[in-house]
Amino acid sequence: MKAGSKILKGLLVMGLVIGLVISLNSGAYSKDVIKIGCAMSFTGKKSRTGKLYVDSLKLAEATINKAGGIKVGGKAYLVKIKFYDDKSNAAESAKLIEKLITEDKVNFLLGPYSSGITIPDSIVAQRYRIPMVEGGGASGKIFSRHNPYIFGTLPAAGQYFRTTLEMLAGFKPKPKKIAIIYGDDKFDISVAKGAKKIAEGLGLKVVLYEKISESSADFNTILTKVKSLAPDALLMAGHTEGGINLIQQAKELNVNLKMISLTVGPSEADFRKSLGKNANYIFGVASWSPQMNYKGYLFKNTQEFVKIFKAKYGYDPDYHNASAIAEMAVLKNAIERAGTLNPQKVRDAIAKTDLMTIYGPVKFNPNGQIKGSSVVLQIQGGQVYQVYPNGTKKPIYPMPAWKDR
Amino acid sequence: MLLQIIINGILKGGLYALMALGMSLIWGVMDIINIAHGAFIMLGAYCTYWFFSLLGIDPFISLFLSVAILFVIGYAIQRYLINLVIRATIFITLILAFGIEIFISNLALVMWSANVRMVQVPYGASNFSIGSVTIPYARLGAFIIALIIAGIFYYILNKTRLGRSIRATSQDLDAARLVGVDVAKTYSFTFGLGVGAAGAAGTLWAVLFPINPMMGGVLTLKSFVVVILGGLGTMFGPIVGGLTLGVAEALGTNWFGATYENLISFTILVLVLIFLPKGILGKSE
Repeated sequence: MKAGSKILKGLLVMGLVIGLVISLNSGAYSKDVIKIGCAMSFTGKKSRTGKLYVDSLKLAEATINKAGGIKVGGKAYLVKIKFYDDKSNAAESAKLIEKLITEDKVNFLLGPYSSGITIPDSIVAQRYRIPMVEGGGASGKIFSRHNPYIFGTLPAAGQYFRTTLEMLAGFKPKPKKIAIIYGDDKFDISVAKGAKKIAEGLGLKVVLYEKISESSADFNTILTKVKSLAPDALLMAGHTEGGINLIQQAKELNVNLKMISLTVGPSEADFRKSLGKNANYIFGVASWSPQMNYKGYLFKNTQEFVKIFKAKYGYDPDYHNASAIAEMAVLKNAIERAGTLNPQKVRDAIAKTDLMTIYGPVKFNPNGQIKGSSVVLQIQGGQVYQVYPNGTKKPIYPMPAWKDR
Repeated sequence: MLLQIIINGILKGGLYALMALGMSLIWGVMDIINIAHGAFIMLGAYCTYWFFSLLGIDPFISLFLSVAILFVIGYAIQRYLINLVIRATIFITLILAFGIEIFISNLALVMWSANVRMVQVPYGASNFSIGSVTIPYARLGAFIIALIIAGIFYYILNKTRLGRSIRATSQDLDAARLVGVDVAKTYSFTFGLGVGAAGAAGTLWAVLFPINPMMGGVLTLKSFVVVILGGLGTMFGPIVGGLTLGVAEALGTNWFGATYENLISFTILVLVLIFLPKGILGKSE
């Protein structure tokens, strides 16, 4: 027992020391700084995608500051993003947003990653009337709450698969049956619900519509079901690891479909690296792809952003990265148009945003979500191409069977 | 289709059994619920990944290296860390194990980043068919290896002097000491063996699924369920528990929907605790 209490005492002392160090570190900003608060997933389940946002936001912060900061009424302010780690936990994230507002006194807020975490965060932002621009949550539930302080740069989740289904319905011979599986996360549920409605509207029969567990790595049972139902296409709304598992196990169980499409995954380098050759022919959806070219606001254009980003971080940016850049572009533009740091006035300016960014044109619907749609991607020869609409390559459909590759 | 689903479940059950083997051993002998078990599985998986991607060693060969490395890590952690609180209440050892788990996971996160990685062996997803049933080679291989390792464990525990001292220590600590068993050393060996088995499970996991530094938590829980299902104090407990859970999950997700995998596991856990409080094979004291 003695050793135990010694360790406990030691832990207590360590805790005090760490607490002291952290508290001494905060509040060390000079006056001419616009503070922007952000709770992001540095650790935990969402940390891999969270890192994409952090990398982009830091790059945007540095780019803005290098170009002289943000001009408010003739005076230039530097921007400083104050990050906290929400540990991929929604309750933790909401607490941190409150802390950012009340203790760190940030001027404006950026969103977290994933819809489930964005909802509670946006409620806190609304309570304190601080505008939040987020690029990591697309569920309709974020924007259906009549919250005037939340603005999102990802297109509506329910519309995610629209272009994919339109493309699919246009193939000859016209596919008849599709299967939709989705994770138990707010975003995925919204995507799947929307996709089901759109598919039925296009005359495609949804033969399997099933929720899967996000924490499970095993898709054998559901793939066995899919195999016996033999749909033309399988759409999955899920996250990267689930996508990798699905494809790997589809090959293990020799499940051959004409098309498999995933929401998250194909656009990410990890996905292609993990699956190697097996990633070929898989379809994906994205609100953005690095092959686009738009005139930028913080960067000259999309291609230049891609080049700078790749040189700095060593990986290809995907739509998460671009969406995060758009967040910062929207904030800077709105603050400068408002000519003040008053949160209410900046909020009104954000609502009127009409901005061209490397992510594409940004305009918000009255509910705060961006007006936009997604493009269809396909992996061909280890590279991701936009295949619909106006693709740089033609979609390969049907996908070749596993044994013919 | 049903046959395919049952076979999927059995193959997965083998991996579950191996995952739980080490946890069961440590729990049974030392009365430590090793919360860090999943983190050790993760380390095993990363060992395999690095051996494969840096040196090109096939996972089924590097398995031995991973087990050896994890054995040393486990031995050292027991010898120099857990040994300090081994006489304390179960609560203290639980906290320490919890701390080790947080430390290992986050160290891995810092060193290797949260990127998802996968061991892409050439035979990775290939398969063969018997009638309408498709069997992936890698899963079958993992299943067989799991059984072999369980067999080796059985041999060590029942036929060697080390195994006899491990069993003696778990049955009666004082008596074991009286007849000259070096308890501290036995504990270190036990912990090393348990962690080594976790390393083997990690290797097989890495062949089948993508890995990341945070994967351990869920695996600890799964192992925990399997140990309780099978019952403590017997080498066959984890195997019976693992196979039961694997098949039950496969059938359950087929009938009730894939989203309920964890609900199914924990419902079975509760039912077993109510009707067979010592587990399916548990020995009464």
